Amino acid sequence: MVSKKHISITVNGEAKETEVEPRMLLAHFLREVVGLTGTHIGCDTTNCGACTVIMDGKAVKSCTILAVQANGKKVMTIEGLSKGREKLHPVQQSFVDKHGLQCGYCTSGMILTSYWLLKNRKNVTDEEIRAAISGNLCRCTGYDNIVESIKDASKKMEEEGDPIEEHPEIKVRA
Amino acid sequence: MELSEKLVRGEGRFVDDIQMPGMLYLGFARSQYARAKILKISGAQLTHKEVNFEVVEVGEGATTGGPAALSHPVLANGHVGYVGQPVAAVYSDDRYVAEDLIDSVEIEYEPMKAIVDPEDSLKREVMYPGVKSNAIVDRYFGKEFTPDPSDIVIERKIINRRIATNPIEPRGIVAAYDGHKLTVWVSTQSAHSIKGGLSEALKMEPDRIRVVQVDTGGAFGLKGGLFPEYVVACYLAMKERRPVKWIETRREHLLASRPGRGVVANLKLYAKKDGTITGLKGEVIVDNGAFTGGSGEFSPMFIARQLAGAYYLPNAYVRAVSVLTNKAPQGPYRGAGRPEAMYFIERLMDGLADKLKMDPVALRLINAAKETYTSPLGMQVEKSRQFLESAIKELNYEKYRDRENVGFAFLILYHATAGGESARIKVENGRLKVWTGGNAHGQRHDIFIKTLLKEELGVPEDIVDVLKGDTDQLEDGVGAWGSRSSMVLSSAVIVAAGKIKEQIGKKHGKYTLKALLEGKWDEYEFFKYDKTESSLGANLVTVDMDSYGRVIVKECLSYYDIGRILDLDNAKGQNAGGAVQGIGQTLSEELAFDEDGLPLITSISDAGVLSADLVPKFGIKFHKSESPLPSKAKGIGEAPTIGVPIALSRAIEKATGKLIVETPIRPEYLLPEEKA
Amino acid sequence: MNPPAFEYFAPTGIDEVIDILAKYPGEAKILAGGQSLIPLLKARISSIPYLVSLSEVKGLSYVDEGKEGVRIGAMTVDSDIENSELIRKKFPVLHDATEQLADPLVRNVGTIGGNLSHADPANDLPAVMIALDARISVQGRNGLREIKARDFFLDTFTTALEAEEVLTEVTIPFWGKRSGGAYVKFKKNTWNFSVAAVAVQLELEGNKCTRANIATTSVSAKSGRMESAEKILAGKELTHEVISKAASEVAASAQPTSDPYGTEDYKREILKRITREAIRKALSRAGEN
Ligand SMILES: Cc1cc2nc3c(=O)[nH]c(=O)nc-3n(C[C@H](O)[C@H](O)[C@H](O)COP(=O)(O)OP(=O)(O)OC[C@H]3O[C@@H](n4cnc5c(N)ncnc54)[C@H](O)[C@@H]3O)c2cc1C
Ligand code: FES
Ligand code: FES
Repeated sequence: MVSKKHISITVNGEAKETEVEPRMLLAHFLREVVGLTGTHIGCDTTNCGACTVIMDGKAVKSCTILAVQANGKKVMTIEGLSKGREKLHPVQQSFVDKHGLQCGYCTSGMILTSYWLLKNRKNVTDEEIRAAISGNLCRCTGYDNIVESIKDASKKMEEEGDPIEEHPEIKVRA
Repeated sequence: MELSEKLVRGEGRFVDDIQMPGMLYLGFARSQYARAKILKISGAQLTHKEVNFEVVEVGEGATTGGPAALSHPVLANGHVGYVGQPVAAVYSDDRYVAEDLIDSVEIEYEPMKAIVDPEDSLKREVMYPGVKSNAIVDRYFGKEFTPDPSDIVIERKIINRRIATNPIEPRGIVAAYDGHKLTVWVSTQSAHSIKGGLSEALKMEPDRIRVVQVDTGGAFGLKGGLFPEYVVACYLAMKERRPVKWIETRREHLLASRPGRGVVANLKLYAKKDGTITGLKGEVIVDNGAFTGGSGEFSPMFIARQLAGAYYLPNAYVRAVSVLTNKAPQGPYRGAGRPEAMYFIERLMDGLADKLKMDPVALRLINAAKETYTSPLGMQVEKSRQFLESAIKELNYEKYRDRENVGFAFLILYHATAGGESARIKVENGRLKVWTGGNAHGQRHDIFIKTLLKEELGVPEDIVDVLKGDTDQLEDGVGAWGSRSSMVLSSAVIVAAGKIKEQIGKKHGKYTLKALLEGKWDEYEFFKYDKTESSLGANLVTVDMDSYGRVIVKECLSYYDIGRILDLDNAKGQNAGGAVQGIGQTLSEELAFDEDGLPLITSISDAGVLSADLVPKFGIKFHKSESPLPSKAKGIGEAPTIGVPIALSRAIEKATGKLIVETPIRPEYLLPEEKA
Repeated sequence: MNPPAFEYFAPTGIDEVIDILAKYPGEAKILAGGQSLIPLLKARISSIPYLVSLSEVKGLSYVDEGKEGVRIGAMTVDSDIENSELIRKKFPVLHDATEQLADPLVRNVGTIGGNLSHADPANDLPAVMIALDARISVQGRNGLREIKARDFFLDTFTTALEAEEVLTEVTIPFWGKRSGGAYVKFKKNTWNFSVAAVAVQLELEGNKCTRANIATTSVSAKSGRMESAEKILAGKELTHEVISKAASEVAASAQPTSDPYGTEDYKREILKRITREAIRKALSRAGEN
């Protein structure tokens, strides 16, 4: 029997402390220990991005990170994006407005990758968007409406700003 | 909360999101061999000895009763027929431990020489003792005819290789049993199909089974079916009286769910020198896989019957065969026989145009059906010439005609309207609840249902709740596939709404919204429909080839007849989504096997699912000739998976000068020679 | 698919890391970004009883300009290298590679140390480091030692690292003023990995090439230098003929194997063409300096 590890991860601003088996994936920790099921799992080879979360300011695939590796880090899931606010986050709103989802399974990951992109870049081009979401697969939309949603979100973020005050400090690069 | 709002908040409820106290996680030890006898199994908790059920066919194109030897046992019965076939089951209350248990199952095999190639299968020994032939379907359509000796003949072997459906959410089920009733939560296109299938497989009275559809993360044909794993999950839930969850891994999906396509055609098209086609002969061979339970008993016939395309074809004689191979059973994948049939006839038409040095679209125009007729192969072909003329205009074909990188597709899409569909509308406390028999899994039926109810009953969208499939809430139902929902499902909603209106009229003299919302109403409608409807479509694709033979899809335009547009955004999304799958089929998607039947594909990316950076922006225009159904709409879902591979293959053929007769087209084949 | 059980350690100092590795010889492995290791564990291809994470060891993530070269810490993630202006300017071959490596999310986690230590012949950074004449610093029970990148990769998944050694830093020496490089990657259809890829780094004097390094990805059991091809370039003016000859030599000396992505011959042909492209690109970049 392997020994469990004590970990503390800040999830959407709240510290979560618990003992976990070292082999537990961050995705399962979020879904089954914390109970945030918006983080999805779509593959076992780190290709699909359905499990995307923001960890210490970067979009990452939570199916390929151990919960123990996230010890001491800040994680934001899809639920964190509009947590405590009735209104959707601009990126979420754009996905609704521009029909950026069909079945909705890839959506959490798409939105979080988009959020990370838009925190880093202004005036994103179609090409930059497509490159940025190249690690997130969608089998329904054919991506057009997702690209439109992200462009719309870029505008909304410019105009309205980011309502998340205490978001993980996302590094802004040139 | 509206569905899309829920989903963007991460508050959807997919099957793996369900947690219940005492839940068991089910796992399967699967075959490592494509074909083998099982000598011994140790370390398993469930085997065929105890769980000796068989999978029954449900979903689009389900047939009943093939030869008994061919039925898919839920756990292998002494032998295995494909890599990934469930042999034994294990379970634990921890999903990680369930996986450890899979690793501890030991299975001894006596391997046999696998049958991998469908054409080879027809020449090989029979796969099972007691079976007469490896052809489980072998039928002829049309009538033998003698071609005019002066006719031109185009002869081709054309192949659409197998591809995985790959919804981003894999298959999954949760089953619970209270001593009398079995309740199942499942990711599906059809709660009622699953219910019917489970009842038959488990030999349980239907009213002891309730199937609830949860949010379903894509399906593309796959999730209309019943699977061995589902039956075992239900069995275990009843045996242990504990909730049981089984969630497919992607690896399992690639091995053992039901892939689509996998069809070979050997065809000859006959034509006069002026381009008028005179006849079609040949055979269509479906790679059925090792068992029934998929769609292999249906698909060869469905494909053969559609081979006239949208053209006037006076003579035809086609053999439709489905053969046993050591692979997972073939199943429906977005289009399910439609893309194959149109690909075959359209490739032949392009071949004919080249032979006659004619413009391929001009050739299509000559042959487009001037009047609606029933082809010798049995399908009704609607008159298509006028549509084609307007497609040429709308897609601006004249501008592209002389380019060396353009392909054009002309298609007929047969909607699976036959069988009809059900809907129930319940009004209570000022809100409307709607259940429908076809269960959306990425088509956003909720949006058009709300639009229709606004029109029919004048109710604002925000008081309508479109609920997921639930067999306890809805007597009967069919399923969401075959581009049918905007047609029959929406019609069921319209008729059910009409019934409520009528009742209110009777009671109150006339229909008012107030009377609706203040009263209690509950109407169920099974909208019966026997006919298979169809619609026409066209695609235009242009490509650039780089110096390595890589294809860059530049423009990908659609022109489809979708009748009345119920939801424009959704139609565009359906088009783009289908078009990406069409590009995938043509350029990257394949479930490849080696000569021993061992799968070579182990990840969703290896399977060729395209990412956003590899596809263009899509364009679509609509032709709006209303359907005869109450909704006046026509389906669109499968049109792009039919048209895009055709137009793209042709564009590549033009750009490279290489004959294209296979999907996917291997990059290797396209590598251009270098000039010295 | 989830990993089998293992013990996990996350020490805060390198010495502790080495102690743990030494305590379980052959059974303990380092966990860096996990972007290669965790997929392997999930697929249950390998089972590793003891994982030693570097995530809590501070000071292993940096891209620093020194006197004789640029030093990159083992735990520096690919995206930090991709976004480094210094790297883009000084070593465009490395920028090319990181920009095309995996996908943006994997690049946010995968590390240079892991990419090199994993020694997957399909990984992109080994060839780049070989082409740049980089040196790899490793720390073990007997202290620190440096290994030339060209001597580091021994075979598929096998490096010159001893079981209890840790890769701590990579040093890329500065090249002469008129130098330049390029990485050309021919990706598999929808996979991030390549059918073939090649790294070229050149230095010029007058109109002659004085130094030329070529290394390949995905076409041999290990990433390695293509010395016979380098010799064709060295000391010569890089005319169309010379470039073509060197590219053909690279293709001839590689050892690709047939798979669903192409036959051996096809891969050689691709390699020849991308090598030409890479040499031309490197040449033009060197010429600009
Ligand atoms: C979807 C996907 C696509 C990918 N595509 C590409 C690609 O196109 N090109 C490419 O190059 N790579 C690709 N990779 C691999 C990726 O780059 C990995 O990040 C990299 O191979 C390993 O780095 P890591 O930090 O994740 O190492 P880990 O996975 O943590 O470790 C890998 C191995 O290196 C050892 N190790 C790690 N760090 C050290 C150290 N400091 N000292 C000693 N040993 C150490 C570990 O013990 C282990 O054996 C891809 C990965 C994924 C999941
Ligand atoms: S589930 Fe994480 S990448 Fe697919
Ligand atoms: S919306 Fe279904 S996978 Fe993206």
